[in-house]
Amino acid sequence: MREFTRPEQISLSINNEPRNVVVYPGETLLYTLRGDALGLTGAKPGCENGDCGACTVLVDGVPVKSCLVLTAEIEDRDITTVEGLNQAPIQQAFLDHMAFQCGYCTSGFLMVGHALSQHVDRADEDRRIEWLRSNICRCTSYQEIADAVAAACNGLD
Amino acid sequence: MLPFGIEYYRPDTIDEALKLYRRLRENHQEPVFYGGGTELLTRARLQNVHFDAVIDLKNIPEVRVHGRSGDWLEFGAGLRLTDLADGNLWPLLTATADRIADHTTRGQITLGGNLLSTIPYREASLPFLLMDEAEALVATEDGIESRPLANLVSDSFIKPGEFLVSVRVKGDEAKGIAYRSRKMTRQDWIDYPLVTVAVTRRADGSLRAAFSGWAGFPFVSSAVNHILSDTGKSARRRAQEAVAHMPVKALEDLHGTREYREFVTEYTLAQIIDELEDD
Amino acid sequence: MKIIGTSVPRKEAPNKVTGRARYANDINVPGTFHAVMVPARQAHAQIIAIDTDEAKKVPGVKAVITGKDLSVLSGDVMEDRPPLARDKVRYWGEPIALVVARDEAAARRAAGLVQARYQPLPVINSIQDALDKKAALVHQQNGSYTVATPPVYPKKHSNIADEANVTKGDMDKAWKDSDVKVKVHVSLPQIDHAAMEPRIAKAEILADGRVLIHASTQAPFEVQKLLAKYFKLNPGQISVTAPLVGGAFGGKAGVQLEILAYVASKAVGGQMVKIVNTREDDLATSPLGMGFEADIALGASQDGRIKAAEMRFFMDIGAYADSAPRIARAIAAQCTGPYAVPNVHTDVYCVYTNHTYTTAWRGFGHMPMTFAVERAMDELAEALKMDPLDLRELNAIRPHDVTPTKARLTRSNLGDLPKALTHMRQLIGWNGGRVEALGPGRVRVQGVAAFWKTSSSPPNAVSGALITMNSDGSVNLSIGAVEFGPGTKTTAAQILAEQLRIPLDRVFIHEDVNTQVDPEHWKTVASLSTYMVGRAVLDAAKDLMTQMLMVAASVLKCSPDDLDYGDEKIYVRDDPSIYLDFKDLALGYKYQEGDSIGGQLMGRGKFMIRHLNLLDQQTGHGRPGPAWTVGVQAVEVEYDQNTHQYRILKAATVIDAGKVLNPAIASGQVMGGMNMGLGVASREGIFYDSDGRLLNNQLRLYKLMRMGEQPKQYLVEFIETPQVDSAFGARPIGEHAVLAIGAALANALSRAANVSLNMLPITPEAIWRARRAR
Repeated sequence: MREFTRPEQISLSINNEPRNVVVYPGETLLYTLRGDALGLTGAKPGCENGDCGACTVLVDGVPVKSCLVLTAEIEDRDITTVEGLNQAPIQQAFLDHMAFQCGYCTSGFLMVGHALSQHVDRADEDRRIEWLRSNICRCTSYQEIADAVAAACNGLD
Repeated sequence: MLPFGIEYYRPDTIDEALKLYRRLRENHQEPVFYGGGTELLTRARLQNVHFDAVIDLKNIPEVRVHGRSGDWLEFGAGLRLTDLADGNLWPLLTATADRIADHTTRGQITLGGNLLSTIPYREASLPFLLMDEAEALVATEDGIESRPLANLVSDSFIKPGEFLVSVRVKGDEAKGIAYRSRKMTRQDWIDYPLVTVAVTRRADGSLRAAFSGWAGFPFVSSAVNHILSDTGKSARRRAQEAVAHMPVKALEDLHGTREYREFVTEYTLAQIIDELEDD
Repeated sequence: MKIIGTSVPRKEAPNKVTGRARYANDINVPGTFHAVMVPARQAHAQIIAIDTDEAKKVPGVKAVITGKDLSVLSGDVMEDRPPLARDKVRYWGEPIALVVARDEAAARRAAGLVQARYQPLPVINSIQDALDKKAALVHQQNGSYTVATPPVYPKKHSNIADEANVTKGDMDKAWKDSDVKVKVHVSLPQIDHAAMEPRIAKAEILADGRVLIHASTQAPFEVQKLLAKYFKLNPGQISVTAPLVGGAFGGKAGVQLEILAYVASKAVGGQMVKIVNTREDDLATSPLGMGFEADIALGASQDGRIKAAEMRFFMDIGAYADSAPRIARAIAAQCTGPYAVPNVHTDVYCVYTNHTYTTAWRGFGHMPMTFAVERAMDELAEALKMDPLDLRELNAIRPHDVTPTKARLTRSNLGDLPKALTHMRQLIGWNGGRVEALGPGRVRVQGVAAFWKTSSSPPNAVSGALITMNSDGSVNLSIGAVEFGPGTKTTAAQILAEQLRIPLDRVFIHEDVNTQVDPEHWKTVASLSTYMVGRAVLDAAKDLMTQMLMVAASVLKCSPDDLDYGDEKIYVRDDPSIYLDFKDLALGYKYQEGDSIGGQLMGRGKFMIRHLNLLDQQTGHGRPGPAWTVGVQAVEVEYDQNTHQYRILKAATVIDAGKVLNPAIASGQVMGGMNMGLGVASREGIFYDSDGRLLNNQLRLYKLMRMGEQPKQYLVEFIETPQVDSAFGARPIGEHAVLAIGAALANALSRAANVSLNMLPITPEAIWRARRAR
C-alpha cells in the first residue's frame, strides 16, 4: 500500500525527464506543475472545476485535466505538458491556422490535439470534435482550431 | 487546489482498504474512498465536503475487472468511463456512459464514482436499472456482498466503511436486447441532462425505460414500462401517457422548466419507440 | 515593403504554442501572500456584524479586512462602490471581507470561517422591481455620490443611477406621417465576459514608497490614476504592469481586484500579495455585462422609409454604476442603428438592481441595442411585406446624413453600408427571407441584421509611441496598449515596419505594458487601439526618420531633401551608391577619425482624439466618436418545427474595415466575434433565483459554445472604404462582429418558428414557450 501522509519528495517523469519535487498529499497535478519547483506554467487554471480544459496535460499519452487529479495518483506515470512538445506537428498547425488569439486556452487545446494526432489511430472528424469538446476557447470561432487539429492529424499543412 | 490538508493512501487489496478505513476512523479521522476524484476534488475546493484522508481504490485488482465471468458481464467500479467505451462490452452502457461530461473528463470519472455521485444524474446506472439481474458487489467488513442495483438510490445502499467493488449483469440478458439511449439537454452537447432516456426492447416486444435528470435521482417505473409496452397504442400516445404517469414530478431548474421537461421527454420517448419498433 | 495587408503571424505566436507566453498568474515571486475575498451570501441586506475571530485564528492568516477598515468609494464615473461592502450588501457575491495569508489554502480556509449576520432587505431582482414606485432603494444615497467623470444624472430617491436622452426632429409630425407602425419589447439577461484567464492582481508596496501592481487589466493607466486618487498617492509612485492578458472583452477595463490587492498589501506591511479570482468569483463577484430591456417603436411610410423612432432602453446595471453611464450615452448616440431616421426620441436608463454589478462588455452596449433595433426592423419589414434586406438598404445611413445626436457623417467617418448590404446578398446567397421546407417539420431560413458603432471615448483620450534603436539598426517599439488577443502589438509593429521600410522581424515590441516606461494609452478598449496607437506610431516613425535623415545629411554632406531610405539604408536619391546603414546612425555616427555626432536616435509619437464632445443633457446632441464602423451580418439556420432545435449552418459578416492591415488576424477577429455573439444569442445568460442568488457561477452552468456547435461555415468579407485620418485608412473592427449576429439569428428563427423571438438566449425551450404564449 502506498501511504503518503505528509509532504514528500517524489520523482515524477515529466516530459521524458525524471524530476524530483516535494509534493503535499493533497496537491493537484496542476498545482505541482505550476509550483516554484517545476515552473511549468503552460497548463493554466481556468476554472479548477474540470469545465474549461485549460489545464489539460497528457498522462501516458491521454489528456487529463490536471486540476482534477492528485499528483499522488499519477506519481509513476509519464506526464507530458505543453513545454514538452518539441516542435510537434500540432504546434506548427496552430501557427499555420492562427488557432488562437489570447492564447490562454491554447496549451490545453494543443495537448488534446497532440494526443489525437500522435496517439489515436483513426482520428476522424467525429472523434476530433468529441475530444476537443472538452475544452473552451472564448476568442476564436473554433473553426481555426478544428482546422489546425485536422491538419496535424492528417499530416496536411 | 484543496483548501485543507489530507493524507493519501493507495491500498493494493480490498482487505487493506477496509482495515485502513477502520483504523483511520478509530484515529478520529474522516477518510473517504476515492475513485476518479473529479467530484471530491471539485466539492472539496469549494469546501462543500470535508475529509482528511483519501483511500484511492484504483490499485485494487477487483475494482478494475472488465469482462465476462461465467454468466456475468462484470465492470469494476474503478474503470474510467472511457474504458467502458474502449472495451464496448455492453453497447447500451457505452451509449449512456459516453454522454456523461466530456471526453477528457470521462477519462477521469470512474464508473463507481458516477453510480454513487452526489450529483443527481448518475446516468451510468440507467442500463443496469433496465435489467432483471443487475448486481453490485460491495466490500464490507463481512466480506463481499452482492446487492441488487435496483436499490442503488436508497440511502443505505453503501454504508459508511463499505465501498463498491464492481457491478455486473447477466450477459445473455444484457446483450440480447435492442436499445436506445438519448441525452437531451437545454442546448449544449456538454451539459447536465434535461432528461436522459434509456429504453430497451425485449424479444417479447416489451419496452422498459430508465430516466435521469427528470428527478433528483435516476429511476425506472413499472407503471411507465407497462404503458410503453402497450403496442395497441401509437408511440405518441404511449409517450404522452408515460409522461402523465411518471412516479415523480419533473424537476424545475435552470436547465428547464417542469413543463418543458415533460415536452422533451414525451417527444424523445415517442421517437425512440418508433425507432425500436421499426427495427 | 509589403507588410500592411499581409497575414503576418502574431509577434508572440511562438510563445503561445510552447507554453512560454506568460500571463499575470504565471509570474510569481516566492513568498507572495494570498488574499481571498469572502462573498456575501445575501443579495440585499443590512450588515449587522461580521465576525472574523475564527478566521484570524487560522495559522498563516495575517490580516482580515472588512468594509469598516476602508473609507474609499470607487467608481470611474460615479463613486458609489465600496471595495468591500460597508453597512449593507447589494449583490450576492459582493466581497464583504478580505483574508490575507501566507498561502492560498490558509486564506481559503479562513475565508470560509468569516461569519456575517444580516438583516435581509427586499431584493430588487429585476428592472421592473427597481422601477416600482414603492421599490426598496439599492442606494439610499443615490444622487449624492461624488461624480468622478461627468456627465451622469442620478435620480434621487429612486433606483435610476443615470438617464441619457436624445431628441431629434418632430415626433408628433413623424407619427402622423407614418403609415405603418411597429412596437417591439425585448428582454436580455446579464451575461459574462468569461475570458479564459480569471481576473488577477498583485500588489507590493516597496520601502521607498513605490507601489508595484501586476494585473490582468485592459487599463493599466486607469489603475494607476484611480489608486493614486483613492489612496492619496502620487501617480508616479505607482507602477502598473499588464503582461499578456488571457482574454478581456471589456471585463478587464474596470478596476476592482487592484484596489483590494493594494489594501491587502498595505495590511501586511507592503509585502507582495496576490489575489486571483476563482471562476466562481469571476462570474459572481467581478462585474458582468448588463441585462437589458427595451421598448422600440418604429414608424414608416408605405414605401418603407422610416419616419419615426421612439425608444426606451433600460439597463440592468446591477448594484453599482461602474461604466454604465458611459454605455448609456453610447446607446443613446447610436440608438437608431445604422439607419437615417429624421425623428428620434430616445431615453436610456441605468437601473440599479441587486444583481452583480456590470461593466463594459464587447461592443459597449451596442450588442443589446442592436438586438432591439434589428428585431424591430424585421417586424417592420414584415408589416410592410418587404424583403428585410431591401428595407435596410432603403434606410441605410449615408454620408451627409446626421446621426441621432446630429453628428455629421462623411464618407471617411462612416464607411459604406449600402455596399456592404449588396455584398451580403452574394455572400450568403440571400433568398429574400423565405422559409424553405426541407422535409416533414424541417425548414431552412436566413436572417439578417446590420450594425454600426463608434468609440464613445472621452474627448481627451491619448495614446503614444516611443521608438529606440539597437546597435544593428533594428528598432524597439514601446506603446501603452495591452495585448489580450487581437494582435494589437503586432499591428503596431506592422505599421512601424511599413513606415521604416524594414522587415517586421526588425521591429521588437515588448508584450507587456508598464505605466512607468511605456507612453500613456487611455485604455485598450473600444476597438480604438489601431486608430490611436497607429497614429502615434506614424508620428513616432516620422520623428525618428527626420532625425536620422538630419544626421545622415550632415555625414553625407547634402540636404535631407536629397536623401531617401529603404533596406535599412539612407541613400542619396540620385546615386544610391552613396549611403549609410541605419546601424551606423542608430547610436550616433562615428567618423573614421573617431569623433562622433548625433547620439542615439529616439522617435516620439503622440496622438489625441479630436473634435469630440460630451452629449448635451437635454437634446443629447454632440459627437460621440471619431468614426463609425458599419457592417451587416447574416445567418442560415435549419430548424425543426417539432422539437424547436436548430443548427446554424452559415454565419456571415460583411464589414467595412477601411483597410485590412492583417487579413488572417482580421478574419479571426470577425469569426471569433460571430461565435461569441452566437453563443450569447443561443445559450448564455446569468440566472438569479427569487432571492437574487446567482445560480450559474461555474462554466458547467454558464454555458459557452464548444467545438462542434459553431456554424458549419463562416463567411467573412471585408470592404475597404478608407478612414482617411487613420493609419493606412484602417477602421476599428475588434468588437463589431458580436453586434448584430444574435439579432440575425433571432430574425431567422422568428420567421422559422412563426413567432416573435424578442428575448435571449434563444434556446429550444425559449422558442417553445414563445409559441405556447402566442
